[in-house]
Amino acid sequence: MARYIVKRLIYIVVTLWVITTCTFFLMKKLPGTPFDPERFASMPQAQQEKVLEMYGLNDPVPVQYVKYLGNMLRGDLGTSFTYVNQPVTGIITSRLGPSFLIGAQAVLIGLAIGLILGILAAWHHNSGIDAITMIIAVLGVSVPNFVMAALLQYFVGLKWGILPIGFWTNWKCSILPTIALSFSATAMVARFMRTEMLDVLNQDYIVTAKAKGLSQMRILMFHAIRNSIIPVVTILGPIVINLMTGSLAVESVYSIPGIGSLFVDCIKGNDYPVIMGITVFYASFYMLVILLVDIIYSLIDPRIRLSKEQED
Amino acid sequence: MNKRVLAGILSMVMASGMSAVPALADDAGQELDVAVNAEVKTLVPWAASESQAFLVMNQAQEGLFRMDADNVPQPALCDKYEVSDDKLTYTFHLRDGIKWSNGEPITAQDFVYAWLKQMSADATNGYSFLMTDYIVGGQEYNEGSGSEDKVEVKAVDDKTLQVKLKNPTPYFLGLTTMSMFFPVNQKFCEAQGDQFDVTPDNMLFSGPYKITEYDPAVGATFVKNDQYWDADNVAIENAKVRVMKDSAAALNAYKAGELSQVEITGTDVAANKDNPEFSQLTDFRTNYLQFNLTDPVMSNVDMRKAISLAIDRKTLVDSILADGSAAGTGLIADGMAGDGSKTFRELNGDVSPYDPEKAKECYDKAVKELGSDAPKEVTLLIGDDSVMKTVATFIQSQLEQNLGLSVKIDTKTMQGRGEQMDANNYQFGFTAWGADYDDAMTYLDLWTNGTPYRGNYKNDDYNKLIADAKSQTDDKARLQDMLDAEKLLVETDAVVAPIYHRGHAVLTKSNLKDLVSHPIGVPMEFKYAHFE
Repeated sequence: MARYIVKRLIYIVVTLWVITTCTFFLMKKLPGTPFDPERFASMPQAQQEKVLEMYGLNDPVPVQYVKYLGNMLRGDLGTSFTYVNQPVTGIITSRLGPSFLIGAQAVLIGLAIGLILGILAAWHHNSGIDAITMIIAVLGVSVPNFVMAALLQYFVGLKWGILPIGFWTNWKCSILPTIALSFSATAMVARFMRTEMLDVLNQDYIVTAKAKGLSQMRILMFHAIRNSIIPVVTILGPIVINLMTGSLAVESVYSIPGIGSLFVDCIKGNDYPVIMGITVFYASFYMLVILLVDIIYSLIDPRIRLSKEQED
Repeated sequence: MNKRVLAGILSMVMASGMSAVPALADDAGQELDVAVNAEVKTLVPWAASESQAFLVMNQAQEGLFRMDADNVPQPALCDKYEVSDDKLTYTFHLRDGIKWSNGEPITAQDFVYAWLKQMSADATNGYSFLMTDYIVGGQEYNEGSGSEDKVEVKAVDDKTLQVKLKNPTPYFLGLTTMSMFFPVNQKFCEAQGDQFDVTPDNMLFSGPYKITEYDPAVGATFVKNDQYWDADNVAIENAKVRVMKDSAAALNAYKAGELSQVEITGTDVAANKDNPEFSQLTDFRTNYLQFNLTDPVMSNVDMRKAISLAIDRKTLVDSILADGSAAGTGLIADGMAGDGSKTFRELNGDVSPYDPEKAKECYDKAVKELGSDAPKEVTLLIGDDSVMKTVATFIQSQLEQNLGLSVKIDTKTMQGRGEQMDANNYQFGFTAWGADYDDAMTYLDLWTNGTPYRGNYKNDDYNKLIADAKSQTDDKARLQDMLDAEKLLVETDAVVAPIYHRGHAVLTKSNLKDLVSHPIGVPMEFKYAHFE
């Protein structure tokens, strides 16, 4: 196991290097500069050069690349061009907080409600609960989160005045965005869980268990759920990544200083150090979550082995 | 069981509906809250280039002058000034007892430091020209060929600042209301190093408010600055500038009492026209078509005239934009300074009218002149912005309808559009210019250098008019030069086709009075605002 993890971590580092390199050179192909074109054009030559030098933009691109990689290895992601004198690491960490909190809450809610709905729907197959679950699932998948966000803001925030309509001042502000974000996760988890449960409930060993006279509860808890939850773990990876890396739409509706909007802004503004920083962060996060999912996988399903050696 | 669950859910929903009384706290009127639709990325004076930052800085800092409600500069940190007879030397006398928020006196040296910094190569905001175009020695210092002590901004003593200009500049006092001209305390600034103005702890304030919280993505929180010389006349204690990127969300926040004023767009404008809280303002900003004079088709002056004459600007602003924008009847925006009694626009009239018959005449003439070069289609370069796209589609339909000329719309990112124009790779492009100061020169000066971005326009007569206007000591003759220059550029040579002057519509809480908005430079003044 430890060997496997080390091996995977090495892959991660290599992948990260490839991603960094690709992004770096592609980014340099973005049209424009980090500076307003008209304002920049109005500067005298000497000042233009000084500005470019200040940001290390007058070196040839390969030199910039080597310098960037060197700094990155030392943990220095540079200083933003547009957020003057603010280090990229600081900007990213300050933006991660809100996105992570909302994302994590949304994952938990989505998982909890989704699982319960899925289990109930399968257990009471073809009943009213099943129908309601499926309606929720279809709505959750097909209604985009920004529509959900706007509706919640209008009704819960403005009309009924129950929760803050936005801003980021206390925990209460995170409730509506969490709900808006969690809908699609709830829907996905519920659908997956229901399908798998139905499949498992028709398996021979469930019939055997019933024949042995086990209680309904016991069959559900120890035989059905455990075996149907594995595919849900598979989709958990993408869900976590999707929700925790910030949503531009939800963040802008609720005026939350999250990382989703930062990513879009920095690309629009050609803020190279921030683009690189977020790319490196997203990529590492993605790969670590996938690794984690694989590990959880092997823990809940003994049939899945992480490495060949263990099979012997 | 299922029915009971459903009934339960329903009753819960209804109960929460009943308790849905709009929450408007009694003290909601005490704080002044406005929204900006993009982040306040930096407050470092020589790096900030966006209106969001100008808005924040203008409340926390002050220059020699401050704009009043009628866009006329009024003495602020200076209380008296003298201009020499040749109109080139300005002597400003600072007010007695003006202090930084930490209690230190504000001196003439603080202005010299800030202005020199803005003219040095450290300035990355691209606004150095606002000083180097006027101040003797500034250009050379900025370009690296001159030295600091040759720049004619001098502190005669702690209370007296003397500035020498290259040319008579009637709008110079207006310039000093802008954030680049605000003072900076050298000792404090240097002690903060590169953290200067990054957090409220690294800031010093000279204006009516102090910043207590600042986050680029959230906005800024203000409290009244007791050290401010005119604190007695600042009515509102607390204020906020909030970053809200979603306009629908901002309107919700306004309705919920979280904002004192909100900008509205699109259908909300029409829906609120009769609302007593509604008002609109036209900015000193012109959106125009720039023709590329080196393009074989657009080099034909009749073709350019035809295109300009074929666009019904009034329909565009009234029915399509409907956001308070004004029809572009000239390059210089409505309301910009003229001779004091009349605006520039009133004096020069409609130099880019809509006249479909004349347009067709010009077009037929152009087609004849161009012969085999006559185009089946022309390409309009625009930026990736929803308003720009709407306007471009309108222009497309107008040219098709009035001239029978088909238009291909080439959409690029804003950056990409700028680059393509710089590279001379366009036929005609849709672009905009916002006035930097309240004087026609802020527009007219742009077409003197013949760059591709300005359509490669080179006309000695035009350059002569501009050069003459710049050296005139007689205000009337200077104005006449500029009036003639606009006519030449827009009417005779048709190098640009002004389309509209951007406007914006706002809702303001009825108990909030005198929240002044300016159509240029510094966008808003909290100082004069008060609640009733």
